[in-house]
Amino acid sequence: MRRVTGFLALATATALLAAGCGSGTSASGSGDTGAPVNGGILRAGIPGNPDHLDPALSYTNEGWEILEATNNGLLTFKKASGGAGATVVPDIASAMPTVTDGGKTYIFHVRPGVMFSAPVSREVKPSDFKFSIERLFRVDSGGVGFYTGIVGADIYAKTRKGGISGIVANDKAMTITFHLTQPDGTFNDYIATPFAFALPKGTPDKDISTIPEWRVATGPYRITSYVPHQSITIRRNPTFKSWTPDTPDGHLDGIDVKIGVTPEQSVNEIADGQLDWYFESVPPDRLTQLKAQYPKQVYPFVRNNITYFFMNERKYPFNKLDVRKAVNYAIDRNALVKIYGGQGTPTENIIPPGLGTAYKKHNLYPYNLAKAKQLIQQAGVGGAAVTVWGHNTDPTPSAVQYLAGVLNQIGLKATVKTFDESVYWDTIATQKGDPQIGFTDWNQDYPEGQDFIDVALNGEHIVNVGNNDLTNTNIPAYNKRIDQAKRMPLGDARNAIWAKLDYLYMKNDAAWAPFMNRQWPKYVSPHLHGLVFNGNYFELFPSMYLTQ
Amino acid sequence: MIDAPPVAAGGFRTALRRLRRNPAAIVSAIVLLMIVFACFPGAPLWVSHACNHGPSDQNIQGTITENGHKVPVVRNDGTPIGPGLRACYLLGADSNGRDLFVRILYGGRISLEVGFISAIVCVTVALVLGILSAYAGGVTDSAISRLLDLIWSFPVYLLAVALATAFAVHGIAVGPIHVASTSLAIPIVVIAIVYVPYVARPIRGQVLSLRRMEFIEAAVASGAGPVKIMLAELLPNVASMALVFLTLIVATNILTEAALSFLGVGVPLLTPSWGNIIEQGYQTIVTAPWLTIAPGLAIMITVVSLNVLGDALRDALDPHARLRIRN
Repeated sequence: MRRVTGFLALATATALLAAGCGSGTSASGSGDTGAPVNGGILRAGIPGNPDHLDPALSYTNEGWEILEATNNGLLTFKKASGGAGATVVPDIASAMPTVTDGGKTYIFHVRPGVMFSAPVSREVKPSDFKFSIERLFRVDSGGVGFYTGIVGADIYAKTRKGGISGIVANDKAMTITFHLTQPDGTFNDYIATPFAFALPKGTPDKDISTIPEWRVATGPYRITSYVPHQSITIRRNPTFKSWTPDTPDGHLDGIDVKIGVTPEQSVNEIADGQLDWYFESVPPDRLTQLKAQYPKQVYPFVRNNITYFFMNERKYPFNKLDVRKAVNYAIDRNALVKIYGGQGTPTENIIPPGLGTAYKKHNLYPYNLAKAKQLIQQAGVGGAAVTVWGHNTDPTPSAVQYLAGVLNQIGLKATVKTFDESVYWDTIATQKGDPQIGFTDWNQDYPEGQDFIDVALNGEHIVNVGNNDLTNTNIPAYNKRIDQAKRMPLGDARNAIWAKLDYLYMKNDAAWAPFMNRQWPKYVSPHLHGLVFNGNYFELFPSMYLTQ
Repeated sequence: MIDAPPVAAGGFRTALRRLRRNPAAIVSAIVLLMIVFACFPGAPLWVSHACNHGPSDQNIQGTITENGHKVPVVRNDGTPIGPGLRACYLLGADSNGRDLFVRILYGGRISLEVGFISAIVCVTVALVLGILSAYAGGVTDSAISRLLDLIWSFPVYLLAVALATAFAVHGIAVGPIHVASTSLAIPIVVIAIVYVPYVARPIRGQVLSLRRMEFIEAAVASGAGPVKIMLAELLPNVASMALVFLTLIVATNILTEAALSFLGVGVPLLTPSWGNIIEQGYQTIVTAPWLTIAPGLAIMITVVSLNVLGDALRDALDPHARLRIRN
């Protein structure tokens, strides 16, 4: 998942990390009073529009945080923090799937009685899940890559007609069966992401974020109003009745999200009692002061994040390996961490350290400006015009200016182009946008090395819209190794391949210039409790409650 | 007997004498000259003799020695060094470790350049449109007046932001002329366009009254063509008005540049201008207020000086107007 405030990662493999981070990653909120209180409206702030409020299209943590509270899939990541939050459990499915055919067939039984909210107001059927996954392909979802292993999905991706033959829904028997082309150890994880959340058949093949009649909920909350650049109103879903402890009812009566609150403003408004919670992290420069002044309201939060600059291999001068290596040598990763207020750890790995044995630290590119200049000369691209892309949420503009300054130092001619963050992620994910180099980050969708290596670097997944392979990296030999690893069961042997590929991509391709595993400290109202930081859905609204 | 034009020959010399007798005008002119000196020859002199950091030199990992102690330019928590009596980082650093004083000097160059050049472009275009519209009359006058009305009908900043945003994507491409989206010409053109009606309208009004005067009728009778009348008779008679507008509009344009840059659609991010220095400092206004206050003061002093000078110039060139206002 791409986003400044992306997804956490406290998978089973991250237990060590979670333990090291203390209570902030796992405890309830400030001044936890024990028994949760029902009622009250949470006043939340967000700097810009969430990318989408459509489960098929949203690929940011802001969107997923909201959709987790409003919609459901067959499976879900356990609504817990720490390692437990990485466990996949049944949601609308009545049990975990029956896996047969050597790991190639998944049979789910759909729980009866789960209702879509008004105006649809009917029971969720297995065919709704089939429809929802097929719709991903029709709306150019960034999540299609998770489902291309289903039999017939590749044909459907091209024709968009006749349905995906490998998904068999039986509304009478309330079952849905997925036939895969090959075993995939993380298929349950894919099913637990919001991309596979149920939408009613008939949902139009376009973004439903601003179409109220199609923003249909199954979860404890529903979005009653969305006015871009102004507000999002979320209220209880009257048709919701909790069917499992893993899909609990919410404590809050609703959430009022004010759009356009800057990080700096959020701190002031929370301190003044005008805001309870903010979607983004504390502004880097305020953390020290807030920790000292409001120690019980600041929560450290470490996620499986990699923050990096991407270089488009299809664009001059980054189509040259020497140039990409030069950028990796030229950036001082410690300096970049300072720009982020010290809220991160320098790294040049693709995979974050929280993913257990899939992470093997390497040090291929120590800071060396002279070497970088030499590589630029060697490549014969001195004076090449380069535009560095970034979004406008602080401190990203400082980071892209830093990169542009460094590129100018090593002999390129760099300028900076910034976009409003609400459109940035979609823009860079299209081939039409076609940036040469830019800022991005990746936060886990599910706790496995594959989510970083396969999703963001496997050239087989390159698409024109919703492209996650921003560098357009496509190395057939590595693609093949990825495909082999995906067929292996989860564990150390599979992790070793991700670790090896991390090293190989950085050594032989260097299209990423990773610089930091970012942390996300939060500052919240003293009245807000029940904060649960889930590794995959981030903060869980249904767990939150307010006290006087 | 032919009516005398409003500003007679030698009127500028008289105006200059009046200006010299106005202490506020003298002070503001001196302040302006100091600012211009500091920003143009002063900036490179400061960099080469006092501190070796250019406006874009980043020094995040650097340290300076203060009272025998090494002090980081940017602390590990991202807080930059503050102002102090020292050659380098006199006004402190920003979060990228760049010297704020040096950036303000170089940023002033850009802000003044954008302010002055866009004012010159604006007043020149306004003169052409204003004189042509009033003298030609008929369809030409209607067409130009409706165009000015159209521009005038938009709030200035809304139009400026819309134009700047549109040009920021692909630049300006008109026939063989192509201006890159990162070019300084973009904010110059945008700012010039949005203020044209504010200058062209009064000039048109002035020309409308001038064209009925006898010296114009005399010029027509003596066989002078429209172009000669516009250039030789009308232009000199609206020059003083244009000069006053020029001074006042420079101040307005500097503020507009700052506003556009603050909104992220003005001067390109990597080029320091007072507006984008404020924009970059704004996010740390609580912990590093100097990043916003210092360029803000620079803008304030420059704009106040220009406005005082512009008012004094108007009074000097048009003393009757001054008397009317004072009465």
